[in-house]
Amino acid sequence: MMPAMAKLQFCVLFLVYVASQCGGANVDVVSSAITVKNVDRTIDISSQLVKINSKITFENTGKSPVKSFLLAVESSSKSKLAFIGGKDSNNKDLRLVETTVKGYDNAKFWRVDLKESINAGSTASAVVETVYSKALQPYPTAITQQEEQLVKYIGNLYFYSPYPVTSQKTNVILNTKTVENFTKVKPFSQLDGTIAYGPYTNTAAFTEKELLVHYKNNSPFLTVTRLERLIEVSHWGNIAVEETIEIEHTGAKLKGPFSRYDYQQDHHSGPASVRSYKTLLPASASDVYYRDTNGNISTSNMKVKKDSVELDLRPRYPLFGGWRSHYTLGYNVPSYEYLYYSGNEYLLKMRAVDHVFDDMQIDELVTKVILPEGTTNIKVNFPFSVTKLPDSLHYTYLDTKGRPVITFSKNNIVENHIQDFQLRYTFPRILMLQEPLLVVGFLFALFLCVIIYMRLDFSIHKSEHPHKD
Amino acid sequence: MTTLAEPNLGNGRNKGLFNNMTGFSTLITVTVLLLAWLAGFASRLFAVIRFESIIHEFDPWFNYRSTAYMVQHGFYNFLNWFDERAWYPLGRIVGGTVYPGLMITSGSIHWLLHALNIPIHIRDICVFLAPVFSGLTAIATYLLTAELWSRGAGLFAACFIAIVPGYSSRSVAGSYDNEGIAIFALQFTYFLWLKSLKTGSVFWSICTALSYFYMVSAWGGYVFIINLIPLHVFALLIMGRFSQRLFVSYSVFYIVGLLLSMQIPFVGFQPIRTSEHMAASGVFALLMAVGALKYLHSLNPKGQWKQLLIVGGLVSAALVFLMVVFLTYMGVIAPWSGRFYSLWDTAYAKIHIPIIASVSEHQPTTWSSFFFDLHVLVCTFPVGLWYCVKNINDERVFVTLYALSAVYFAGVMVRLMLTLTPVVCVLSGIAFSILLDLLLREDELPAAPVEPNDKNLYDKAGKVKKRAPEPTTQADFGLGTNVRSGVLIAFMILLMLFSVHCTWATSNAYSSPSIVLASYGNDGSRKILDDFREAYGWLSQNTADDARIMSWWDYGYQIAGMGNRTTLVDNNTWNNSHIALVGKAMASNETAAYDIMTMLDVDYVLVIFGGAIGYSGDDINKFIWMVRIAEGEHPKDIHEADYFTEKGEYRVDSEASKTMLNCLMYKLSYYRYDSGGSPPGYDRTRGALPGNRGFKLTFLEEAYTTEHWLVRIYRVKKPYEFNRPRLPLAKRTIQTSLTMSKKTSKRRKGVLKNKPTLVKGKKLSKL
Amino acid sequence: MSLEIESMVRYASPINPAVFPHLTMLLLGIGIFFTAWFFVYEVTSTKVSRDLFKELLLSLVAALFSGFGILFLLLWVGIYV
Repeated sequence: MMPAMAKLQFCVLFLVYVASQCGGANVDVVSSAITVKNVDRTIDISSQLVKINSKITFENTGKSPVKSFLLAVESSSKSKLAFIGGKDSNNKDLRLVETTVKGYDNAKFWRVDLKESINAGSTASAVVETVYSKALQPYPTAITQQEEQLVKYIGNLYFYSPYPVTSQKTNVILNTKTVENFTKVKPFSQLDGTIAYGPYTNTAAFTEKELLVHYKNNSPFLTVTRLERLIEVSHWGNIAVEETIEIEHTGAKLKGPFSRYDYQQDHHSGPASVRSYKTLLPASASDVYYRDTNGNISTSNMKVKKDSVELDLRPRYPLFGGWRSHYTLGYNVPSYEYLYYSGNEYLLKMRAVDHVFDDMQIDELVTKVILPEGTTNIKVNFPFSVTKLPDSLHYTYLDTKGRPVITFSKNNIVENHIQDFQLRYTFPRILMLQEPLLVVGFLFALFLCVIIYMRLDFSIHKSEHPHKD
Repeated sequence: MTTLAEPNLGNGRNKGLFNNMTGFSTLITVTVLLLAWLAGFASRLFAVIRFESIIHEFDPWFNYRSTAYMVQHGFYNFLNWFDERAWYPLGRIVGGTVYPGLMITSGSIHWLLHALNIPIHIRDICVFLAPVFSGLTAIATYLLTAELWSRGAGLFAACFIAIVPGYSSRSVAGSYDNEGIAIFALQFTYFLWLKSLKTGSVFWSICTALSYFYMVSAWGGYVFIINLIPLHVFALLIMGRFSQRLFVSYSVFYIVGLLLSMQIPFVGFQPIRTSEHMAASGVFALLMAVGALKYLHSLNPKGQWKQLLIVGGLVSAALVFLMVVFLTYMGVIAPWSGRFYSLWDTAYAKIHIPIIASVSEHQPTTWSSFFFDLHVLVCTFPVGLWYCVKNINDERVFVTLYALSAVYFAGVMVRLMLTLTPVVCVLSGIAFSILLDLLLREDELPAAPVEPNDKNLYDKAGKVKKRAPEPTTQADFGLGTNVRSGVLIAFMILLMLFSVHCTWATSNAYSSPSIVLASYGNDGSRKILDDFREAYGWLSQNTADDARIMSWWDYGYQIAGMGNRTTLVDNNTWNNSHIALVGKAMASNETAAYDIMTMLDVDYVLVIFGGAIGYSGDDINKFIWMVRIAEGEHPKDIHEADYFTEKGEYRVDSEASKTMLNCLMYKLSYYRYDSGGSPPGYDRTRGALPGNRGFKLTFLEEAYTTEHWLVRIYRVKKPYEFNRPRLPLAKRTIQTSLTMSKKTSKRRKGVLKNKPTLVKGKKLSKL
Repeated sequence: MSLEIESMVRYASPINPAVFPHLTMLLLGIGIFFTAWFFVYEVTSTKVSRDLFKELLLSLVAALFSGFGILFLLLWVGIYV
């Protein structure tokens, strides 16, 4: 009964937690006491992601100290937002709580609670990092093999803020000189690879103005459409990780034929295509395999580095726009890297998602944790809000009643989500003997069968010559 | 002393482990058989170790695909499976056109393991099924030989069959084919048949029938059993060896086996409707007649019955024969099939069934391949055969017939080497056993084991001094010790060479997965050419789910298995005219081929081109068979002679004929092929510079070509893609006449002529 | 949340994975020896001379050693049960 109770209790707790995280119950108002004195924004669109880094300086123009402030994301891009995080001036993580503001139903808001409140008249600064996926549109949407990939970025020229902004600057990092077209609002300047806007002064709250950049971007536009991560814990000292990955090139589609001749002649042919990418595994990873349903994919290299194992993965074929691939990548890590214990209490601290390639974007992540048979009292702490899927049982070698499986999923994942989850459970160590004893019992039963068989006589009549040669 | 598990009730006083001969010899028998199993299993793993656990070649891919289907959807759905992904647009009733024994075997292993919570993937079960069954074959061979001669000979035979290349060629890991399990079923059925013949017990006859049923479910080669056993019975009758035991065992076996074999959907009513099976029923009728006459004879055992018996037997034989001929003439019984005729007349297939003749394993066997597949056994098995004939009894008649028929069939077709191998192992085992009997009769010391494979020698010595050998009354006492040890050493060396050869042959000749190729650089480094899987992987991920792929039939199973796409023709060559249509498309020029391809709804065309890496099994080299098969069905459009030069040579360079240079297969192989050897575009396989280069394709476009150019995939364009440029509708209405006439006049060659309705229809819609 | 991570100890296998092969060989070797003994005994003894106690003892020892041997074999080849 106890485990069931604990599970139920946990579920309730979890629901409350989830509700407090993303429920629409929180309502805030925009404080008129805050103004934004200065915003320094960097929009990095050199990869397939849009990474916006804003250094914000707040000023309390009111009378009383302010404990929190609000962050807003405009309605046009809130669906593409993958990650938002904040740091204070001491580079400490800030806690963000999702909230709403009356009258601004379309936008999305977060309330940031400060560690130290801003006194009247003084200023404080914070760094907010937001990452958007699928915010860059390939334009034209289809290109031939030899063409460069051009993409369009449409964003907001101004920092979208619930407070009036006194002064702001924006740097757009492109890493290319080939820019077809971009929004020109003075003052601006274009240096190689970057466009600088501003400073703009005194913009009102919630100001939106389209910022458009149409430029060359040949960085790999790869989307992991589904990643299933399976973590299997064995108390014989091993944790097996297996990732099943479906991947698609989501850049400009390939138009017309693919020519192997062109692709071979000129190494720069197919600039937007992806030949290979690098995956970083934990440094202690061993027995790495890389295969798909048709068997091993023989085109990969492994390099063991000091702090990681670097895999140079080459799909079976180069990925052009619209082409897909899928594969399974698995490896073992020793348990002492991630598993802690005290008595019969265990704690597994592992990444909920791991690196697939630089600037990755994952549409759907499903992580499954398989615990040893006989585990009870399972409690999980997630680093970010996830959808918890129902627990199930998994049957594998020498199992009788099945191993508990903890499953959770999350959509729209980027590199910033590579964080640890913590899973606590109770496992009586004596249960480790169950598996060998099962084999022993099975063998013994076989021997008993032989013993009994030798005592039986199936013949209908007594044979006088049991052996006739 | 025939079964292992049975305790020897007579002499077990249990004085300890090693001073008890029964325990000792049983232990050694079991150990040798286990070691044979292990050696057989291990020697078949070269492909897995060098490459990976993967299904090989062509047919195994189909077997694997249907096994996976069965595991996923259940047995009854498998029996009712209509595969719409094969033979587009006809489809294939898979459940009714396969021997399901293989799938059921691995499916039940899979089911059993999963019931025990052992999550082994069905692919791994399929890959390792044949090596595991090779061990069972070794045991069945042991039992058979022990039944024929002695346990010692059985151990020899078991060790031989475990590693002999003639059998491992069909049963290496990954070669997931019917033969892998069928040889076991074959040997086991023969063992049970001899057992039932010896005992005359209904129990063993029913076991024989059950084993025969398994064989029927597993392989079309069951016809061999159902003709050989009646032949044996017939021979025994002629030799006057009729007995109640023979009567009981054959009638029970025939009736039960007949009923059981008809339960297989693919076999159905064939056992009573085709000529291949008529020998069995004829012999059955004859046996009944002889039995009846014998019974009458026993009522009044006087001299004149003897003549009546012979006359009656002859008359009934003639009656049965005439009956069969009459029924065949009336059409009740189907005459011999073409594949059977080709067994009697080797030239038959070449003239009438090119599709059979095009397969390399249907060619007549060369002398060297006898030696390659059997090595020293090919020399020793006549010795065993001679001893069997010399000391004839009922069982040895059987093995004699078995050997003679198998030798004949193996000579006709390379593939049937497989049926010869087991009997060669049995007879060689007997020969070696006799030899050691002679040499070691007085030596109380067992000969030292030479190497693990030949452990049986050790056992042999122990056995010989224990048991009185079968009557070998040769004068062997004149042999001196030196001669004995000399001969012994010579034969040990021979056996050692045999096992070395077996390992070498299995490793080098039979352990290539053929879908993964390996090439070796000058420094000995190995490079894997994975082009097939690259292409199939590309197909499975980047084409529409219902895309139809046209390729030569060799690759049909692989496309379906690895690419999971619809194919037009595949290795189940049941529809010759469909294959001929594909051959015609490949042999026609682009325009004519386009018509065929649109008729067949083809989306992609896949060709194998080995010119860049010097791979000789590519489509250009097979092309002449495509032409021949196409000519067989379309003699008006395709002429084989057009594809040869005037001198009658098959060439691809500038000397080649015009038809050859412009056919679809040629164009698809060499389209934009400019890499390769030192002059760009040099074809390494044929050692020539292609005669037609720099051409453009009108109706197809390159969709994908693998890294080493081995597989080339082309997309068939839709009519609007080459007829006219795609312009916005508004623009077209103004300038239709001008732009269109320009474009079409350039491409008039064939397009407009052959597709008038299409173009006109489009134009009409505009006007 | 009874315990904090700081107070916990890293968990390693109770048996060093490096000795898995040796354990496998040793245990399976002994197991096979007793299995062989058992079967030889079964084959050679008669209904009269058979001793149930000896049979059970032999089979138990064989099962014990083979069972643990098989477990370590599984662990050795990478099937972490």
